[in-house]
Amino acid sequence: MPFRLIRQGFSSGPPPRMWRSQPLKDHYDVVIIGGGAHGLACAYYLATEHGITDVAVLDKNYIGSGGSGRNTAIIRSNYLTPEGVLFYNESVKLYERMSADLKFNVMFSQRGHLTLAHTDGAVNTMRRRAEVNQLQGVDSRLIWPDEIGRLCPLDLSDHPRYPILAALYHPPGGIIRHDAVVWGFAHQADKRGVHIHQQTEVTGIHVEGGKVRGVETTRGRIKTGMVHNATAGWGSTIATMVGLKLPMNTFPLQACVTEPLKPFLNVVVVSGSLHVYVSQSDRGELVMGASVDPFASYSLDSSLDFLEGIAGHMLELFPFLSKVRVLRQWAGLCEMPPDYSPLMGFTPVQGFVLDVGWGTYGFKASPICGKTMAELIASGRTPELIAPFRLSRFAERDLVGEKGAASVGH
Amino acid sequence: MLILECPNCGPRNASEFRFGGEYKPRPQDPMAAGEEEWVEYLYMRDNTMGVQKEWWYHNSGCGMWFLAERHTRTSEVLKTYQWSSDTASGDV
Amino acid sequence: MQSERAIAGESGHNRGPNRLPAQAGEVLDRSTSIRFSFNGKVYSAHPGDTIASALTAAGVRVLSRSFKYHRPRGLLCCSGHCPNCLVQVGDEPNVRACQQPVEEGMEVQAQNVWPSLERDLMSVNQLFSRFMPVGFYYKTFIHPRSLWPFYEGMLRRAAGLGKVDPETPWGTFDKQYLHADVVVVGGGPAGISAALSAASQGARVLLCDENSAPGGHLRFAAAAAPLAALLKELEEHPGIEVLSDTAVVGWYQDNWLAAVRATRLFKIRAQALVVATGAYERPLLFDDNDLPGVMLGSAVQRLIHLFGIKPGERAVVATANDDGWQVAADLRAAGVQVAAVVDERPVEGVAEGMEGVRVLGEHYILAARGAGAVRAALVAPVEGGGHSAGTGAQEFPCDLIVVSAGWTPAADLVYTAGGRSIYDEERAEMRLSDLPPGFYLAGRVSGTHGVEEQLEEGRLAGGAAAAFCGWGSAPEAAEIAALEERKTAEKRRTSERVRAAGKKKQFLCYCEDVTDGDLETAVAEGYDSMELLKRYSTISMGPCQGKMCSMNALHLCAQVRGQSVQETGRTTSRPPAKPVSLGALAGQNMEPVQRTPIHNWHQERGAKMMVAGLWLRPEHYGDPEAEVRAVRQGVGLIDVSTLGKIQLNGPGVPDLLERVYVNQWRKLGVGRVRYGVMCNDEGVVLDDGVCAHTKKEEWYMSTTSSGASGIFEWMQWWVQAGWGAGVHLTDLTDVYSAFNLSGPQSRALLQKLTERDLANEALPYMRVRAARVAGVPCRLLRIGFTGELSYEIHCPSASGLHVWEALMEAGGEFNLVPFGVEAQRILRLEKAHIIVGQDTDATSDPLAADMAWAVKLDKSDFLGKRELVRVANEGSRQRLAGFVMEGAEEVPEEGLQIVERDAGGELEIIGWVTSSRFSPTLQQAIGLCWLPREVAAQAGNAFTIYRRGKLLRARVHHGAFFDPQGERLNM
Repeated sequence: MPFRLIRQGFSSGPPPRMWRSQPLKDHYDVVIIGGGAHGLACAYYLATEHGITDVAVLDKNYIGSGGSGRNTAIIRSNYLTPEGVLFYNESVKLYERMSADLKFNVMFSQRGHLTLAHTDGAVNTMRRRAEVNQLQGVDSRLIWPDEIGRLCPLDLSDHPRYPILAALYHPPGGIIRHDAVVWGFAHQADKRGVHIHQQTEVTGIHVEGGKVRGVETTRGRIKTGMVHNATAGWGSTIATMVGLKLPMNTFPLQACVTEPLKPFLNVVVVSGSLHVYVSQSDRGELVMGASVDPFASYSLDSSLDFLEGIAGHMLELFPFLSKVRVLRQWAGLCEMPPDYSPLMGFTPVQGFVLDVGWGTYGFKASPICGKTMAELIASGRTPELIAPFRLSRFAERDLVGEKGAASVGH
Repeated sequence: MLILECPNCGPRNASEFRFGGEYKPRPQDPMAAGEEEWVEYLYMRDNTMGVQKEWWYHNSGCGMWFLAERHTRTSEVLKTYQWSSDTASGDV
Repeated sequence: MQSERAIAGESGHNRGPNRLPAQAGEVLDRSTSIRFSFNGKVYSAHPGDTIASALTAAGVRVLSRSFKYHRPRGLLCCSGHCPNCLVQVGDEPNVRACQQPVEEGMEVQAQNVWPSLERDLMSVNQLFSRFMPVGFYYKTFIHPRSLWPFYEGMLRRAAGLGKVDPETPWGTFDKQYLHADVVVVGGGPAGISAALSAASQGARVLLCDENSAPGGHLRFAAAAAPLAALLKELEEHPGIEVLSDTAVVGWYQDNWLAAVRATRLFKIRAQALVVATGAYERPLLFDDNDLPGVMLGSAVQRLIHLFGIKPGERAVVATANDDGWQVAADLRAAGVQVAAVVDERPVEGVAEGMEGVRVLGEHYILAARGAGAVRAALVAPVEGGGHSAGTGAQEFPCDLIVVSAGWTPAADLVYTAGGRSIYDEERAEMRLSDLPPGFYLAGRVSGTHGVEEQLEEGRLAGGAAAAFCGWGSAPEAAEIAALEERKTAEKRRTSERVRAAGKKKQFLCYCEDVTDGDLETAVAEGYDSMELLKRYSTISMGPCQGKMCSMNALHLCAQVRGQSVQETGRTTSRPPAKPVSLGALAGQNMEPVQRTPIHNWHQERGAKMMVAGLWLRPEHYGDPEAEVRAVRQGVGLIDVSTLGKIQLNGPGVPDLLERVYVNQWRKLGVGRVRYGVMCNDEGVVLDDGVCAHTKKEEWYMSTTSSGASGIFEWMQWWVQAGWGAGVHLTDLTDVYSAFNLSGPQSRALLQKLTERDLANEALPYMRVRAARVAGVPCRLLRIGFTGELSYEIHCPSASGLHVWEALMEAGGEFNLVPFGVEAQRILRLEKAHIIVGQDTDATSDPLAADMAWAVKLDKSDFLGKRELVRVANEGSRQRLAGFVMEGAEEVPEEGLQIVERDAGGELEIIGWVTSSRFSPTLQQAIGLCWLPREVAAQAGNAFTIYRRGKLLRARVHHGAFFDPQGERLNM
């Protein structure tokens, strides 16, 4: 048992604060918009790796109130493109040591990740991913129904519509306690002098002569030369404040959980054809998510269509769960760029940098995004790892090929 | 579930329709368009938080593509109407 | 008057020590008994009993163990809102025992106990609770990292409640759509009154009530109320449909409601809505407030009046309003000795019917005493607004502590519909505002507690809802104002006390074992907004979803932070309002599968079927290589009915085709067919197929099977958004079946079934003709995906099987063989024909995909032109190319990567294999792959394929592998 729990157990005083409420200063070297895992990770790495601590992280709500607290907390690096694999693999490595780095148990559970293939085309796509992964040193392979059956109790009988032909098995993939990632970064950033301002909404950004000069918030004006857009869902809205249009649309993504059950599912199961991904949390709940909603929206309202759809698809895979009850559903916002890859780095506006467009896969990239964006802000140069995700790739027609995976399977 | 009014069939559940994205006219003559205008058409999106003009297709109904003006935060649909060269001043 | 309900002299039918004589209004059928088991022990129940009522009647007090500390828990709310009675029933986990009627032979088990409910060794956790504060797991198990999986295993073994059994079948579930002018949610007095008033104005009304019968609290908790009369009126009104046992679990946009009755999901579209969902009774915090024997007042009333159960022998009632006094009266009438009534308010004199009862005004409950069950209640005076322990505390021996201190509106639907809560300081209750249009409230959910007022509010809300959908007129403003005045005059107050000055655990959240101290710690650590508190402490995230704890948590958080309740805010309410089974949400297993008219024939011939989009297609009939040989040497027949088929009519068709295809169309004469490729404006290949000019102003297009619906939509869009002058599109995908008759003998065979001259001169390659085949009017397209002389026969689907069987019969002398998708894949690969979606992906342009011959950059504007011009100028980085393996029998699986060694000797990915097969015709492994332009440029260039650690050699091949000149097509 760690000393601090023993100390807390016997002490009568208040426990140490994770982060403090600070007065809003009228100047910060760096203003990060968005107090989610990306923004807070960037603040943490600015402070720890670059000694930049005059940093404000602004959130219009509470920290982790956006995508960071609404995702299904799946971590993996078995992407299709070499650049994607490399990037996410660095992220997985940071996640692996995160509990120790942040001195906060983020409960990263590398229990394995299965992506099911229901068609010949999907089998080929999985093989393609497995091969790319292996060549990049990522543990990922194609497995067949007998091995799938040993890993989890999927219904492997004859399905007319969605037979389980094979799966991409990715042992290092898993799940994590998403809020803990947010809190851990917030705690360590706060400890090093970063100011975390909750309930502080950005209402405008001052740009003069193509350079950022300051930020207008609901709590007052801040002078700064560096604004980092680390929002999710609202990336276009913030970019509009500096006159920038971005290549993405905002879509809601919904998820739900069931009542707690004794653990029976020890891997993450994903089916692209059925638009479902599911894992069982350490509390025993099944956490389930789907693809983005069928139309663009900024609404966080839940829909019945989603519940009906995901229930049907879950039972297609696990018919024995028909009596298990859904406890709660919710929605988050995702920004979908045309090539299924994020927008990171510099923009035509000097002092305005981006880490947006994260589609449905932003959370799993949080630490590496924070680390690379901190390096970019501190050095003024784009780290090689995120160069493929630069905004200018569209004008240059150098799109990332990650979308390839989505279309194959005809 | 959202109710949308198909200009042809009247109010129906949104599940009868397919969303076609924000209204984005194609440059009249792509070959003559400036590169910036062309890249903007191909990739950039207003992604409006507010009333958005957008396409819908009545795929489980009459097969009409029509335009809707919908608030992207509240999902309130202000109006729906058929495309015509007047509404779009000739663009596609 | 409560005593009038008790009917004496029927004790002969009593089962269990706690069963009272029959009560007026009880739901039991005492004439028979049924048997069920709990943890292996057999119990008896009457039809109408719930599991919990039957067990309570039998004297069972402990129904479950708590999640974290494994403390014994008993019946608390008796209304399905708390976690205390969750049990396993057969293969069904997490059943609310207080809601589930007993069925004969039911096997009920306690959940998450080890080894048993009575002796649960996991309760040892309590001893270490000092070291397991809220969120303890975030602070421990960090070092060493290698041990975390072990710790996690321990946490997981402790996690979860009920069990699932992988042998459980999907079962029977279904769905039903309902429509109504006015939907009333909740069948209490307000709801019934609303339904009657809306219906009397002419509206069609649907009343949904989650209980087994309407009546709400009038069934068990009210003074003189005209329930029978109301129910009679309700039943007789032709405009009202009542759905009992039906919980409305979700409000979604535009009054789209989800309601569940057992295994059925109702999807209801309401014009207007009256929410009369009542309120959740709120527990109080005091030491050991979770001991079995602590119950809510409404729970006790339900037990007495609905199930004829005596809930205890000796009770202490804690209250802060008049409801508690009614409960006390009910207890006395049921023969329970009331040791004391403890009211937070000053009490003057002795209430009627309370003679001989200790009445303690300005007192509250400090602690429950007992081990495993309530043995006594410790009561202390409320002093100066605060609560102090010790001074003047008195202990009352009892086995039942009844808490009846106030209500939280059951506002889940209201909140999800966008309603807001305003904290009414005067009454210490949430009031609801900002309701969406057509959304009305009535009864306790809107803070109306008196039955008369509830009836009146229902009448007004029902009238307003009916008027909203055009039936009758809305109530007068004066009537509404008058009711508001009566509500305000009620002057009732919910207890605002959030904790006792105790020394032991006071449970805020029963689901997750969160105590007042946990919450205080969490706030001090910085989790000081309700949403952060929820996520950190997990309060309100358990099976009750905050129904029991959220208001107490809110009060406590406000108190700890020194804020008002309103400032503190509440957590977002999320659907469903009640947990709903996946089965009910899913309904029947109805994933659609499309079958061609020949499906049964294929299956009878032993075809191995495969999924292709929504379709099922024969992959092969046993030996795909033999099927290939048959096509190359004789003749084969494949069912290609799954192709998309679009007819285009009108003078504008050629212009449209020019715009949507990358190739040339204007000059294609009648009777001719052309292969076409479609791109989007990014220059990415969308689909391919052929298009035939069938007659003047009529064209017939085929698309890939998977592209069928998407391409029709895509074309419709361009047609309806400005490119549609003189064009009409018709989707004929399902209207026509299509078969490809392929092989050197195909002409001779087909000629037997048609009078149309099939000679090469009469019907040359890439031509279309109308013809009767086996008497059926068909379209014949002479095209050749396989590389052999082929006829694609399109016939009306109704005649599809007839034509197919006629072909098979006529084919007997030619040894006609049906072939499947696998043989077709090999045949087309031998010809190096690409499959869009397999050899191309969402990033491929046709120039790079080796289809430059089809792209006509010199024609006028078409989709993709600008980007393709650019690609043509800049050159593609990657090219699709054919390859042959150096090891003739080594077939590299599709998806393998092509590599080369970089300067450092590391393997670098330079391409990948999209298609590969062993060609039975050439006796050689062949394929298609993406390669760097330089490598692909020269036939014969060698490259390396990585296959599980081995490196395979292959060489670039240009053009078709078989019959490169296409001579066999022009026979």
